[in-house]
Amino acid sequence: MDTNFDRSSANTYPNSDSIAYTSKTLQLIVDTFGQQRNALVLDVGIVCSENINFFARQVQRLYVCDIFTRLDQDRHKGMETKCVWRHLDYTPNSFDAINLWDLVEHIDDSEAKKLTEICRIMLKRDGLLFITDFEKKTVPHEVSSFVIGNDFRLSLRPQTNLHLPWYYRHNRALISLFTPFSVVKSFRYRNGIREFLFQQE
Amino acid sequence: MFKQGKKSKTDLKLDVENDSTTDSTAVSKKTVGGKELSHGSINSSNSEKTTIGENIIIEGIVRGAGNLIIEGVMKGDVKIEKHNFEVGPKGRVEGEIRANDVVISGLLHGKVNAQGMVEITKDADFYGSIKANSISIEDGAFFKGEIELGLQPHKKNDLVDKQINKTGSKGEHVSIIPPVEASKGK
Repeated sequence: MDTNFDRSSANTYPNSDSIAYTSKTLQLIVDTFGQQRNALVLDVGIVCSENINFFARQVQRLYVCDIFTRLDQDRHKGMETKCVWRHLDYTPNSFDAINLWDLVEHIDDSEAKKLTEICRIMLKRDGLLFITDFEKKTVPHEVSSFVIGNDFRLSLRPQTNLHLPWYYRHNRALISLFTPFSVVKSFRYRNGIREFLFQQE
Repeated sequence: MFKQGKKSKTDLKLDVENDSTTDSTAVSKKTVGGKELSHGSINSSNSEKTTIGENIIIEGIVRGAGNLIIEGVMKGDVKIEKHNFEVGPKGRVEGEIRANDVVISGLLHGKVNAQGMVEITKDADFYGSIKANSISIEDGAFFKGEIELGLQPHKKNDLVDKQINKTGSKGEHVSIIPPVEASKGK
């Protein structure tokens, strides 16, 4: 189902350092937290000071487990992708929301389904799952962190120390990976980024 | 947890900077190479720093009134609430830290309770929990933990509802894919 990206088809999209947009999904999540100030949130994204400060001031407690860095480290050690999930050793029903960012596009379908199942177990009932995804990329193997700025403005910051594969998926393929969840909202932006907000049923 | 092996008794070497006559940071209990050294003291000026050198291993509780830098190995708690604590690039610390500002450039596994800010540099390896007034983490830092900062008053963004209910009405987004349509894919 997943396919590696064909560089030639990406010419109409800007470079990552010029991408910035206002995230509607982020606004939705924050509004949800506004009604639930004791929320516990897990962020598996690339360690990013801006994001940590943003979320840690919105919720009671923010959990951060940078899977991107660990995935990269494991790959350098020749370890299989499945080994990285050992780091997500949180107790079941722990979180009100999990931010996966674009982690799914760096793993194949088989591992993505494992990740989905782990998230299902870690999330509380009605818990939210936030996913970003590139429809196209100018530099397919470039890994970037999504940096939260003022007014829910997201920009990309390339992480040149990380080297991860990239798997392109159509909407249907992507959503089918998250069948244990229902889609709350999904957004497509001109810059080629998609956002999905799933909810635990 | 620490890969560095325990040092022999001859490794006892406290790197003391500015060991002037003002204050002393009491070390209630420390061991080097397995031998307990009770009531030791690390001299420091009140506003100056005390550095535990690379070849030093401390086990026990450190209390005091001075800034502390760990370049060696520390297993135990540090309670210097009004002063600053730092784990140097080669430092390895396991324990609970109570300090004003905390800077982590080495390895720290444990709890950090800072009255001021916590700064984690790109070479750091942190595992544990942080309570602080503010936090700064450089890209590239190895981090797994939980963070509690002061909460911001929540301001409901009225634009959100308007934008979500009106397709393409604001901002840069092109379209909102309703769940049904999104599930159909391209």
